[in-house]
Amino acid sequence: MSSEAAPRLLLVDDEQSITESLAPFLTRSGFDVDVAADGAEALRVIASQHPDIVVSDVVMPVVDGRELLRRLRRAGDATPVILLTHVGESGERSAALDEGADDYLNKPFDPQELVSRARAVLRRVAAGAGGLVSSELVEAEGLRLDRPARRVWRNGVEVSLTPKAFQLLEFLMTRPGEVHARERLLSVVWGFDFAAHTRAVDNRIAELRSVLRDDAAAPAYIETVPGVGYRFMRSVRRA
Amino acid sequence: MNPRRAVVIALPTTVLLVAAVVVFVVDRRTIVVSAPVGTMLLLAALIVAAATAVSLAWRRHVRRAVARAKDEAIRSAAAEHRRFLDRLDHELKNPITAIRAAVAVSDAATPQLASIDAQTTRMARLVGDLRKLGELQTAPMERVPVDPGAIVTDVAATVGDAHGRDIRVTLPSAPWPLPSVTGDPDLLFTAVHNVVVNAVKYSEPGDTVEIRGIERSGRVVLEVADTGRGIPAADVASVLQELARASNARDRPGSGLGLALVRTIVDRHGGTVTVDSHEGQGTRVSIELPVGGV
Repeated sequence: MSSEAAPRLLLVDDEQSITESLAPFLTRSGFDVDVAADGAEALRVIASQHPDIVVSDVVMPVVDGRELLRRLRRAGDATPVILLTHVGESGERSAALDEGADDYLNKPFDPQELVSRARAVLRRVAAGAGGLVSSELVEAEGLRLDRPARRVWRNGVEVSLTPKAFQLLEFLMTRPGEVHARERLLSVVWGFDFAAHTRAVDNRIAELRSVLRDDAAAPAYIETVPGVGYRFMRSVRRA
Repeated sequence: MNPRRAVVIALPTTVLLVAAVVVFVVDRRTIVVSAPVGTMLLLAALIVAAATAVSLAWRRHVRRAVARAKDEAIRSAAAEHRRFLDRLDHELKNPITAIRAAVAVSDAATPQLASIDAQTTRMARLVGDLRKLGELQTAPMERVPVDPGAIVTDVAATVGDAHGRDIRVTLPSAPWPLPSVTGDPDLLFTAVHNVVVNAVKYSEPGDTVEIRGIERSGRVVLEVADTGRGIPAADVASVLQELARASNARDRPGSGLGLALVRTIVDRHGGTVTVDSHEGQGTRVSIELPVGGV
């Protein structure tokens, strides 16, 4: 993404009623927008136009959103992808993240929210942390994460985390430097974000800090952003 | 089987056995009469005993088959209900997404457009909440020992602080505190939290809100009671269902999904939720969970 040109965004959805309003909205929000009606068409556009970011629906004819993502990642293409998930199949959210989606939004979503997410992902890519979401091993200041094996080491010593704490650490570490709202983290880790229960997130952060011996007052890894949420503050690299 | 019924069932066999013994005892010297009569009585006793056993086994079989069929019917109704919610969710999300995008890109800032925006936002939230509820029925759940007393105390503090209300908590300390249950602490917190928030929401600042913890025959019972407005008798049975709201609750915002969420969480912990209420007097919601857990 060059700083002067508008970032190129490819919107993939077979619902014309959505693309015909969402595309002009995204254009007005500062993106240079292309539209594809399914994954196969999206692959052709990606090959010719090289978009900076892809926003794709999941349920589509021919090549669906997850297959599109898999084909891109298999081909070593790290173009950031935001999936518009149709969750009913409850595994879709975590599957989307495991397969290397940079972010996901559940339909129906607030169009403005999509714009904020797309910008956040582009900022992350510009900061050089773009490929992390599809990396199996990531490392930051003595902290090492093996994502497929669900294992964590701190200064070479393996530590044990509950599955939810691992998921939380994984999400934060593969999206470093960004402030993540408690509600968002709750929905990532839990799959739901019923208000007022964000203390579940605080409890998992407390677990992470205790296992990683991270002092909340002088954090080495996870910083509390008052009134908002949390941020992974170290730079992370592929290991 | 209760003791009286057991006596009645065993009676014919017992009478025949006693009669046989009496015949043998009365005629024990000559054996002339007792041998054929007593033997016949003994044989009859055996036959009756066998018939009783067969009939009992048959009845048990029928009872189990009926229970199985009932369980199956409940399960299939629940699955059908879930499929319906999934289809509803699926069919609504694309049109709502399209409307929201159309509103977002429209230039005219009219009150009508603002109203469309507000109402689709509301529908979007509802569809989202229904989906989350559906997910919660099948999502993987943590299973660790949870102290129900700590959950109750936490919830009382959280809700009390947030709403500026005094919530009374009564927990046993003798002969022992509440035993732990097995489950997901975050979900159990959410369940109790929702019930207590409801108690606060549908009562006035001067009203009493109490949480009581009791241990009863292998179950932990958490009762949330209030002296609020109560639920009309006709609505009590349905308030645990999705989208159900009591007819006297319209003045307070709510989706009608809070108690359905509570029921889903408690179900998944092998427990039950019951609601007792008198309109104008108050409501008591009881969450019952198995000690040690599922």
